[in-house]
Amino acid sequence: MTNLTSLSLLEQIDGLKNKKFSSEELTSDYLKKIHKKNKDLNCFISIDDSAIEKAKECDERISKNKGNILEGIPIAHKDIFCIKDQRTTCGSKMLDNFISPYSSTVYEKLSNAGVITLGKTNMDEFAMGSSNETSFYGNVKNPIDLERVPGGSSGGSAAAVSANLCSFSTGTDTGGSIRQPAAFCGITGIKPTYGRVSRWGMIAFASSLDQGGIFAKNALDASLALENISGFDPKDSTSINKKVPSLLKEASSKDMDHIVGIPKSIITNIKDAKVKNNFEESIKILENSGIKIKEIELPNLEYALPAYYVIAPAECSANLSRYDGVRFGHRCEDPVDLNDLYSRSRAEGFGDEVKKRILIGTYCLSAGYYDAYYIKAQKIRNLIKESFSNAFKEVSSIAMPTCANVSFKLNSIQSPVEMYEQDIYTIPANLAGLPAMSVPSGKINNLPLGIQFIGDYLKEGIILNIANKFQEQTDFHKQI
Amino acid sequence: MKISEETLNNISALSKIKIDDDIKPKLIEDLEAIMAMVDEMNKIDTDKVEPMSHPIGDAQNLREDISDKNIDRDAFQKHAPKTDDGFYLTPKVIEQND
Repeated sequence: MTNLTSLSLLEQIDGLKNKKFSSEELTSDYLKKIHKKNKDLNCFISIDDSAIEKAKECDERISKNKGNILEGIPIAHKDIFCIKDQRTTCGSKMLDNFISPYSSTVYEKLSNAGVITLGKTNMDEFAMGSSNETSFYGNVKNPIDLERVPGGSSGGSAAAVSANLCSFSTGTDTGGSIRQPAAFCGITGIKPTYGRVSRWGMIAFASSLDQGGIFAKNALDASLALENISGFDPKDSTSINKKVPSLLKEASSKDMDHIVGIPKSIITNIKDAKVKNNFEESIKILENSGIKIKEIELPNLEYALPAYYVIAPAECSANLSRYDGVRFGHRCEDPVDLNDLYSRSRAEGFGDEVKKRILIGTYCLSAGYYDAYYIKAQKIRNLIKESFSNAFKEVSSIAMPTCANVSFKLNSIQSPVEMYEQDIYTIPANLAGLPAMSVPSGKINNLPLGIQFIGDYLKEGIILNIANKFQEQTDFHKQI
Repeated sequence: MKISEETLNNISALSKIKIDDDIKPKLIEDLEAIMAMVDEMNKIDTDKVEPMSHPIGDAQNLREDISDKNIDRDAFQKHAPKTDDGFYLTPKVIEQND
């Protein structure tokens, strides 16, 4: 019998629909495997064994031909998405005891489409990190090499798909938190246009940058999953009120022509010769599939990292002020007064990286520094957005590496700035609010690398189509 | 960018995060390194550039100003650290004069 857990999402949908196997069998296989593998990988914070009962209900609906598009498909959610009456920790001691009184739109949409939740995945605390080492629940390990990190912040969701513990999972991307772990774990990850996916019930880090997205085994699976979490939500004031096209149809279209832009100065400056070589080889693969390549200028992207480390901490310092030990979350023992309650609850509840970012944000927003840091960073943000808009007059997508390196060993990066540089190629798309995705592009010493495609606003279908064309020519995405 | 202990104490007070003395030297070192990276921003002239606060330039969607009954106080307060009769409890804020 086929190993059900190694099937892709589209294969699973086909198998369930044609009664080759049941959702109960599929869910049971996944749960057994999760209980076994999670001891090593630590990619789940909570596992929901009641998924089996839900699978039986799905099978019932499928047997009556009443199943929805994703009926009976078991998946995992990053533990940043609230689920009513379930624990949602965001990887933090602050929310260790938090039971959400409501559900996120992403969860609701997927549940309505028929999916079953296998559990909630581990992540860097409040999505702040690039290695999953800042989680209160311990680091996730990379399924490809257990001595290495899975990337972050959505490391648990990436590791779960890579280890065949689900065929797709949800994640969030504020500065690269879907694309970098996707690259490190050898899978496909997409962050859509800012506003495409509702942020309702998705715990906030930096609200003008946060965006929900998908990890999957390939671009076609990702397109169908993304389509099912996208769309206007009146509960999110930054949600885009535009119809979502059939992304699966666009991703698999044979009629799209593309010109992919290669930002010359960025590629010239890639430090690691093997990473550079892998990128150049990937471009040749694109050319072989009939895609036109054009060298472009993409000025000022070198300022994205410093601008991001003002904007993201500034927004985080405001967002995380809600954790005060009064209404929900961790509260210190025996506070002597209100100030002691706030200061000690926050000191005990937040980990070191989160505290560092709140302090940086508070500093940049404080009197006398606001213009020099916050306004300056917002001006650079505008320049970056302009660079992209100019580029999109000439090309339909922009390609660059997802990361400057492959996955690194656990605890090997101690300097905060060195860790922040992990996101050097992913941050620009967040600052501009553009859709971007990472697909596997080969390996260095058996460790996967990713190529990143950035698209224009609301053009998820274009980058998914390019990614699919790339995957039709390669089998890197099948090497996990 | 130098960050003095006084500055750290000030932002710690503003952030309402108590910082123990023994971790201050390492924390200052990290914050200085981050701010040195941030200061790279000054290499570019942005005098004539407008600041961009959000990827969506248009006005945000606002719903009709009509009350709905979506918020169930009991459900929200069930997981609060301390409540009494629908109120959240904190240590005493106003001192009483006898």
